[in-house]
Amino acid sequence: MVFNSFKTGVCALALAATSTLGVTAANAADQEISWIYCGDRIDAIHERYIEEWEAENPGWRIAPEVVGWAQCQDKATTLAAAGSPVGMAYVGSRTLKQFAENDLIVPVPMSDAEKETYYPNIVSTVTFDGTQWGVPIAFSTKSLFWNKDLFKEAGLDPESPPKTWAETIEYAKIIQEKTGIAGYGLPAKTFDNTMHQFLHWVYTNNGQVIDAEGNITLDSPEVLAALQAYKDIVPYSVEGATAYEQNEIRAIWLDGKVGMIQSNTGAAVRAQGTEMNWGVTTLPLGPSAAGNGTLLITDSLAIFKGTGVEEKAVEFAKFITSPKPQGEFELQGGAGLTPLRPSAQVDAFVEKDPYWAPFIEGIFSGGPEPLFFDYKGLQNVMIEMVQSVVTGQAEPEAALKKAAGELEQYK
Amino acid sequence: MNARGSAVLFAWLLLLPATIYIAVIVIYPLIDTIHLSFTNASLRKTFSYVGWLNYDKIFNETFAGVIGRTFVWTFFSVLLKMTVGIAGAVLLNSAIPGRALFRLLTMPPWIVPMAIGIFMWGWMYNGQFGMISGVMQKWGLVDGPVAFLAYGSSAFWATIITDVWIGVPMVTLYMLAAIQAIPEDLYEAAWTDGASRFYRFRRITLPLLLPAIITMSMISMIATFNSFDIIWILTQGGPSGSTTTMIIDTYKTAIGSYKYGEGAARAVLICIFLSIFTYFYFRVTSRLSQEYAR
Repeated sequence: MVFNSFKTGVCALALAATSTLGVTAANAADQEISWIYCGDRIDAIHERYIEEWEAENPGWRIAPEVVGWAQCQDKATTLAAAGSPVGMAYVGSRTLKQFAENDLIVPVPMSDAEKETYYPNIVSTVTFDGTQWGVPIAFSTKSLFWNKDLFKEAGLDPESPPKTWAETIEYAKIIQEKTGIAGYGLPAKTFDNTMHQFLHWVYTNNGQVIDAEGNITLDSPEVLAALQAYKDIVPYSVEGATAYEQNEIRAIWLDGKVGMIQSNTGAAVRAQGTEMNWGVTTLPLGPSAAGNGTLLITDSLAIFKGTGVEEKAVEFAKFITSPKPQGEFELQGGAGLTPLRPSAQVDAFVEKDPYWAPFIEGIFSGGPEPLFFDYKGLQNVMIEMVQSVVTGQAEPEAALKKAAGELEQYK
Repeated sequence: MNARGSAVLFAWLLLLPATIYIAVIVIYPLIDTIHLSFTNASLRKTFSYVGWLNYDKIFNETFAGVIGRTFVWTFFSVLLKMTVGIAGAVLLNSAIPGRALFRLLTMPPWIVPMAIGIFMWGWMYNGQFGMISGVMQKWGLVDGPVAFLAYGSSAFWATIITDVWIGVPMVTLYMLAAIQAIPEDLYEAAWTDGASRFYRFRRITLPLLLPAIITMSMISMIATFNSFDIIWILTQGGPSGSTTTMIIDTYKTAIGSYKYGEGAARAVLICIFLSIFTYFYFRVTSRLSQEYAR
């Protein structure tokens, strides 16, 4: 019986120890930071750095959930609004103001030293009310790509891309008339990048949608000129602009069926795999331009409120976007990203592949996506304005006035 | 408890699981949606009651257009589905060689996952790479690429055609079953009297198919009125709102723009329309049953 009692005691101790370990393990597993990750798979570089961070932070686990681009932002938002927020989500920086004003996210203030590591104007894409509300993780600028073969066929100098809007329209017309192939690729589908593409024209003509004081400045001569240029280039553009978004236009260009497009670094990476002779340069400028321009689009990691792991999520977000992991992630090329920070690695890339240069040159005088309280409202108004002009349903001036009036309710 | 009381109790016990299920997945969400429709619920964690404001907004000029468009879209889609479906059923019922194969060939639109079928149509409508534009150019019908989803009217019809393609197999099979239930001797008698093929179709097939046509039209109308996937994948309601139906507008308002209160009011309106359709469906089917029971 003594033996039996001893055995029972050992078993009880073992059970207790196992249970305790189990509780500890369960507690450790409970310290999880959920992450809505947009795309169709987790990038291998991110996977590697997640493992590294978890190893350095025992008891913490990053739980990414891959959600397609079309749904990921809505999913993160709906979960937060329903009171069951995720720890962290990959969102367009344009949404940060709306999230912040609805008390859904926490600020992620940057130190001056952190801010200084970025290229100019990047931090402003995540800043409002004097603080930062997300950590930039992806950045995109645009440049003009042209098909040198088509330029040659149309009798244009293949080494001289257009420098101004007027030249762009003129060259598009010549290409269309001489080769029968569309001169320009204008995306105007019911899609967010229709607004983005238009903003490239706005920012290359010194225009803006909203000023620093929150006044709607859309109805200005600079923006009107951009809308008029859209109207003027439609006859020489890919037929049915409202059927295509940016990446579909890129596919048409890669197929040699359009002379010029505005796109990100992803077009360069893909064009290298074709037999087409092509070039890339900074975006053509409008009549009121004050220098090179482009829309600066960033995506950020937003940290949602009410999860209990906000502090650690901020720590992880800053880690995964720190210069080393971020540098490796954004310089892969295929994703169409522009580097967020200057570095020796970026310089080496520009030296090796000069096509990176125009994307970086545009940063210095680029403008951020306008931050509106209701960014979807902004987006819908801008898309409707562009489509009404592109399809000939409205004249630029009338469309601009209507849009400017409608924007007041969304700022 | 007497025998009758016991039987009633037993019946209620059997119904209980289904009642709980319906209460949880239908009644509670419905009541909550109606409640939400009287609030200004949005991304904010708090909301307040706004009375009929969300319903007032619905009947502005834009949404009246959306309602009208939804009815037109539904009408033409159902009309085409019924016409093609009945024609297909009559053909599949004919004594033609390879009939079994043709019956099999009606199934792919139904078998192929809907999203894949819609993407396939999206590619076919593409101006640059699409088959339809390519064939039209080859035959000299157009002198350049035509992007069917780029213009309001062509996008509107393109979405209807895709909906018809997806919906026709169900109508065809339903109608085929109804045709096969028509007694053969009616045709034989008419044939003996010298009735032509078209006359037999008009005076025998069509009248006897009427109950099935009405029933199928009502079911199809309810499903089509709420059709979301096709329009969303092909056009997202564009260009310039030309394919925005009530369900698309509701999604854009509630989920796209996070105006949950306004979106709920739109959803309630859809629910009212569908309830009216369903009421007529039950009335018509019940009248038809009585008629044919005599």
